[in-house]
Amino acid sequence: MLKHAGLIAFGFVMLYPLLWMVASSFKPNALIFREPGLIPTDIDLSNYTDGWNALLHPFSHYLINSAIVVLGSLLGNLLSCSLAAYAFARLEFRGKRLWFAVMLMSIMLPIHVVIVPQYVLFSQLEWINTFLPLIVPKLLATDAFFIFLMVQFFRGIPRELDEAATIDGANHLRIYLQIMLPLSLPALATTAIFTFIWTWNDFFSQLIFLTRPEMYTVPIALRTFVDSTGESSWGSLFAMSIVSLIPVFIAFLFGQKYLVKGIATTGIK
Amino acid sequence: MSVIQEISRSKQNVSPRRKGDGRWALFFLAPWFVGLALITAGPMGASLYLSFTDYDLLSPAQWVGLENYTRMFDDPRFLNSLAVTFTYVFVSVPLQLAAALGLALLLDKGMRGLALYRSVYYLPSLLGGSVAIAILWRQIFGADGLVNQVLALFGVQGQGWVSHPDYALGTLMALNVWTFGAPMVIFLAGLRQIPQMYYEAASIDGASRFRQFRSITLPLLTPIIFFNLVLQLIEAFQSFTRAFVVSGGNGGPSDSTLLYTLYLYLKGFGSLDMGYASAMAWFLLLIIGGMTVVNFLASKYWVFYDD
Amino acid sequence: MSTNGLRTRHGKRLAASAAGIAAVALTLAACGSGDSGIGGGGGDESPAAAEECPCEIRFAWWGSDSRHESTQKIIEAFEAENPDITVVPDFTDWDGYWDKLATSVAAGDTPDVITQEERYISDYSTKNVLADLGTLEIDTSKVDDGVLAGGQIDGTQYGIPTGINAYAIVADPEIFADAGVELPDDTTWTWEDYVTTANAVSEGAGEGTWGTQDYGFNEAGLSVMARQRGEVLFTPEGELGVSAETVADFFQVSLDLLEGGGQPDAARTVEYQAAGPEGSLLGTNQGAMGAWWTNQLGALSEASGHDLELLRMPGESAGERTGTYYKPAMFYSVSADTAYPQASAKFVDFMLNSQEAADIMLTDRGLPANTEVREAILDGLSPTDQKVADFMAEIEGEIVDNPPVPPHGSAELADIMERVNTEVLFDRITPEEAATQFIEEVNAATAG
Repeated sequence: MLKHAGLIAFGFVMLYPLLWMVASSFKPNALIFREPGLIPTDIDLSNYTDGWNALLHPFSHYLINSAIVVLGSLLGNLLSCSLAAYAFARLEFRGKRLWFAVMLMSIMLPIHVVIVPQYVLFSQLEWINTFLPLIVPKLLATDAFFIFLMVQFFRGIPRELDEAATIDGANHLRIYLQIMLPLSLPALATTAIFTFIWTWNDFFSQLIFLTRPEMYTVPIALRTFVDSTGESSWGSLFAMSIVSLIPVFIAFLFGQKYLVKGIATTGIK
Repeated sequence: MSVIQEISRSKQNVSPRRKGDGRWALFFLAPWFVGLALITAGPMGASLYLSFTDYDLLSPAQWVGLENYTRMFDDPRFLNSLAVTFTYVFVSVPLQLAAALGLALLLDKGMRGLALYRSVYYLPSLLGGSVAIAILWRQIFGADGLVNQVLALFGVQGQGWVSHPDYALGTLMALNVWTFGAPMVIFLAGLRQIPQMYYEAASIDGASRFRQFRSITLPLLTPIIFFNLVLQLIEAFQSFTRAFVVSGGNGGPSDSTLLYTLYLYLKGFGSLDMGYASAMAWFLLLIIGGMTVVNFLASKYWVFYDD
Repeated sequence: MSTNGLRTRHGKRLAASAAGIAAVALTLAACGSGDSGIGGGGGDESPAAAEECPCEIRFAWWGSDSRHESTQKIIEAFEAENPDITVVPDFTDWDGYWDKLATSVAAGDTPDVITQEERYISDYSTKNVLADLGTLEIDTSKVDDGVLAGGQIDGTQYGIPTGINAYAIVADPEIFADAGVELPDDTTWTWEDYVTTANAVSEGAGEGTWGTQDYGFNEAGLSVMARQRGEVLFTPEGELGVSAETVADFFQVSLDLLEGGGQPDAARTVEYQAAGPEGSLLGTNQGAMGAWWTNQLGALSEASGHDLELLRMPGESAGERTGTYYKPAMFYSVSADTAYPQASAKFVDFMLNSQEAADIMLTDRGLPANTEVREAILDGLSPTDQKVADFMAEIEGEIVDNPPVPPHGSAELADIMERVNTEVLFDRITPEEAATQFIEEVNAATAG
């Protein structure tokens, strides 16, 4: 009981900014900063209706665009990163350490200095203003973060399992498909959750690579509510931020149950 | 005790290496190799080349040799951003990981409403990079924010934490700790990876819960702790969006939250000095790379792999 | 054996990566030279060159949702009149805009019609990204010469002002009344009056309400003060033209206000500065005055819910001359290497001169630079915008001249200002030291 009380109290502190945002999203724009309390004096839904329709397309359009990018990235990362991770975790080959180092190195450069060359590259391929620059790299395992993550998890799976399988005549592809993947559900769920959230929130590359309003995604759409040089629609920003948080929250609620389906519950050995 | 002994014994007992997986390696690594060759290497190489040039994005790059690299060390704002970044990384990463591990252990199992708690604690991580965060952080650490309202209850007159050069970095570190949900998720996944039978066997052997934690949970979780440490360090060194959003884009007040990558961005896109920004990026790569190598070398002494 | 096979494969991979690097590096160089190679500024490109339409031009701008909406309507109106030209919108927020623009220019993918601002127009024009608009068919006869000059660099028209703003003191009469202080007479007030008025309001209004919000973060205030003393922030040659004494005096005003209680303490001041018009002292009914651009009156009034007033900057009558000026809100520019200079020019001409466009845009890009359409939209303006228009008309006769375009590198000015001012507010440096630091840093930024 005490544990629950503590967790709830802590949760409230953690969530205070979010609660404030929810409260503010129900206030008229002018009152958000004049009456910054947590409880709105009266409920006003106009931020939601205005925000939904404020841009060239209804907000659902941007949600769908984001969803396309997210799904593509999800598939890409799950498949390509787990393949690469299997090689690093279970195979012996020349230059393994070197390639591992190269892989880690590729996530050590800030995006701001590679985005211009990337733009040049993608515009040569005529990929600008399509979702390809956002999805194809994931299919090619450029999110090395997840390779490293899965390597760490694969290495935690007892060797005896694949040794037994090898004796039964299984090759690496079968070990990967039938032992590694099923036993790494937590790692795959983690990868999925992270890919979802990072892609959903990624602003910079989406801003640069998508040039036409009909291709815009949620993060770009959200920024257009704020103009540091003039008037900002804070109410609409808060309302649409909450709207765009809902799918992510649901994805997490749904995905987190796979986090706990590890080796411990699959009953192996 | 037999299980625990077995775990520690197999640590030294390296399984026989199988050589000659080259073809299979090529198969499994094929997508990554293609991505490396076509998408990653080119832009990285280009940025390395640009780091030796004077490049303003608007006109062709001019070769200047090492000038960008030597210039860095005469640039007081650069040196300041280094100091700010090191403080940020070495204070907030350990705190964040400790919070993440603690909560993960607490929320691992055996409680009602686990899914909800996990999701609630994870929510802040979803918001971490949002434009709205600047406003939200002011509601907490501003002159009239939540922190000062609480302090006022105890008769303490607080001040504007977000906007004071001495405390602004602290609020930014608090923001980083606040988003501990991400490493927490990874810890949760790692905890589930530990075979239940170890605990069962240990219980039969009569090991206490603390002993189980120290001898089973902790050693078997070390690969994940290690992963989180390496990744959070790399991430924290490259931390950009939060500082950008919270400081209104310039690392203020008075450069107190001018993280390395933020300064790099301001140089590259604000001052259109992309050559210098590229040099800064490669210098950062050296720092992060060096740190990661140290991490990997040290890991031999404390990270336990079951292979 | 298999290791041997792998080695050769490694070799191939490395070769492939090297080729990738070389390709990107070459393209970067090629695009760069392609951009700037065009006739050293696009000036000697013949506008009469054969141009094939139907064609598609890309128009890039920054702003928030309301601007995007009205601009889309203007584009539709233009396309209705010119069915063979399609205008593709390309918009984002202010910060994202410049990142995106620089990236697309670097890759040789420059938008055809570009919105510019005085902080960046020198950078882009000196690098030959922008076309000489004088050679294109754009009617600028309805734009005041002094205003038009704001888009000229070394005599070449690189940008046409969309509209004009002025820097002014916004005052909240209700808070003045609550504090029992009379609204100052802005035709005669001095900088000392400004400080004493603000201090008096703070005193009269009680805890939690202040006289004014610090003005030291915006270089416009310094520019006005310098001009009142016969100096300039930047000379036409792009040199810093303000004396250390003026810079020190400028920061001293902030300190006097801090000491007299006329403005909140340093930490609060920085906080309100970051909060934009909506979270400012005026916007939250916690302050009686603040220095703002006239186009921000709308946002301030809406946020505060009060009937706000515009006042002239202090010291206009006491100095050597008046310092106020018309600032071009933004500029319309055309890419130097657009494939469709004529279509682009036609679109700029439409936005600048068509009554239809003006009726949609109203004062969104500043009070229209075209004086004829400005007159015609006055009746359709909101009460706040009418107040702005009246104020602008009132000060017109007092303006001596408008400052030249700030030099290459001036994009950093705002950050320098903010940094130096913060140091002053937190008592880390004296105004004199601030002046030295400011001058050094600005010189370094504009030298490159």
